[in-house]
Amino acid sequence: MIGTGKIKQYANVLDKPLGKGKQEVPSLSLASLFVSLSAFAFLFSELVQYNQTQVDNISELETRLEDAGYAVGARVLELLCHRDKGNRRETRLLGILSFVHSTVWKVLFGKVADSLEKGTEHEDEYMISEKELLVNRFISIPKDMGTFHCGAFVAGIVKGVLENAGFPAVVTAHFVPVEGQQRPRTTILIKFAEEVVCLGVG
Amino acid sequence: MPPAAPRSGDAIFASVERVNAELFTLTYGAIVRQLLTDLEEVEEVNKQLDQMGYNIGIRLIDEFLAKSNVSRCVDFKETAEMIAKVGFKMFLGVTASVMNWDADGTCCSIVLEDNPLVDFVELPDTCQGLYYCNILSGVIRGALEMVAMKTEVTWIRDMLRGDDAYELQVKLLKQVPEEYPYKDDE
Amino acid sequence: MAAIYSLYIINKSGGLIFYKDYGSKGRMDTNDSLRVASLWHSMHAISQQLSPTTGCSGIELLEADTFDLHCFQSLTGTKFFVVCEPGTQHMEALLKVVYELYTDYVLKNPFYEMEMPIRCELFDINLTQAVQKDRVVLLGR
Repeated sequence: MIGTGKIKQYANVLDKPLGKGKQEVPSLSLASLFVSLSAFAFLFSELVQYNQTQVDNISELETRLEDAGYAVGARVLELLCHRDKGNRRETRLLGILSFVHSTVWKVLFGKVADSLEKGTEHEDEYMISEKELLVNRFISIPKDMGTFHCGAFVAGIVKGVLENAGFPAVVTAHFVPVEGQQRPRTTILIKFAEEVVCLGVG
Repeated sequence: MPPAAPRSGDAIFASVERVNAELFTLTYGAIVRQLLTDLEEVEEVNKQLDQMGYNIGIRLIDEFLAKSNVSRCVDFKETAEMIAKVGFKMFLGVTASVMNWDADGTCCSIVLEDNPLVDFVELPDTCQGLYYCNILSGVIRGALEMVAMKTEVTWIRDMLRGDDAYELQVKLLKQVPEEYPYKDDE
Repeated sequence: MAAIYSLYIINKSGGLIFYKDYGSKGRMDTNDSLRVASLWHSMHAISQQLSPTTGCSGIELLEADTFDLHCFQSLTGTKFFVVCEPGTQHMEALLKVVYELYTDYVLKNPFYEMEMPIRCELFDINLTQAVQKDRVVLLGR
């Protein structure tokens, strides 16, 4: 399996100035730190299209996208932990959620998520919401695909981060209609496993 | 109306929305991993990556044309320069160079020193024979086919295989002439 | 006020993949628009043959008494054309905008199959905004 092998050292991406050019980093030359949104969008579109050929139904498609995202989440956690060498591992639920909502989101999507909320009905549920996920920027879901959400990929990323940080959870992506708005917003619903909740939120 | 002037790769890249290269790199890694799981054979994965690249290329070309304001290239040399200087820059943020032209001007190499597909990737021994970046060859092939050029794109050098750069050979096989409907009447 | 009557997008084989009627008073039904698109595709190709030199890019403007037609063909063979009130300005710029919207909201949609009719909500939404913005610009002059 392809892995990150020896994780290479480089400066914290969050501090880098926007735009082009190589950063001088000891012992390693970095490729451009940014690519166009289009490049990512085409790649993501092909990921979805490829997976469509491998499945029989929408639920399977979401699962496969989630699995792909999981791998990304696991790597992101590795990279971020390695970068912030002084940082102790997050042991609190709210800490890891904040990490996902702010740090992970900023690194992957260029901004912190719109909101992080605790579910009102269940103790073990939290929601990260976005007006529109970056991955969906150019995607229009056909009417006959029902509730299908390409954000399953992002749900997988979140799951990958949480689980590898020691907080197993079921994570799903949903469209939530907004009054007065043509387009629904997206909620990433995180339902923590029993053992996580039992250890206490504190 | 006079056509707008062609734009440089730098100008376009500066004007488009950009994302952190890591999102791109990690997503690509996830794709390759999926393919290795699904297809198992490295040669099949190479083929699938090329096909996926082709599928991207046939769509990406219109954005390239729309944003670069390029008019029809005079010859294949100009085409190769456009791919290297404008194409790679506006999408991947990296500049490539063109070299090793043959006598006819139908075959050249495009060389990349930086490649955002491969940051922090190392190939394990089980992946001997994998062309990790094979999506790129498909992208170029697909894009050019949509503007009437049939090409063959192959890897000459691959840093993940121990070489010192990424070098793609692009060979023009055929320039497909424009077809006029109803030209040959029954 | 200068008006846009209709917008067409044809794939490189001459098939109609998008048609929007902005006010031709419903004179064209679906079959008409398909036929017209196919005929325009042929006329455009013939115009390239009529050219005394090679490399002609085909009809860009057609002026009639009750309308103008502006046409843009990408190097990939996809054609975008708009039927508008005679003398309407900035139609080439609008077609360029439509082309860019196509490269974003149609070509980056994994559920869109190449050469097929366009059914992408985001394309419709953004197109409406672009056309409206164009009208506002015209009104403001």
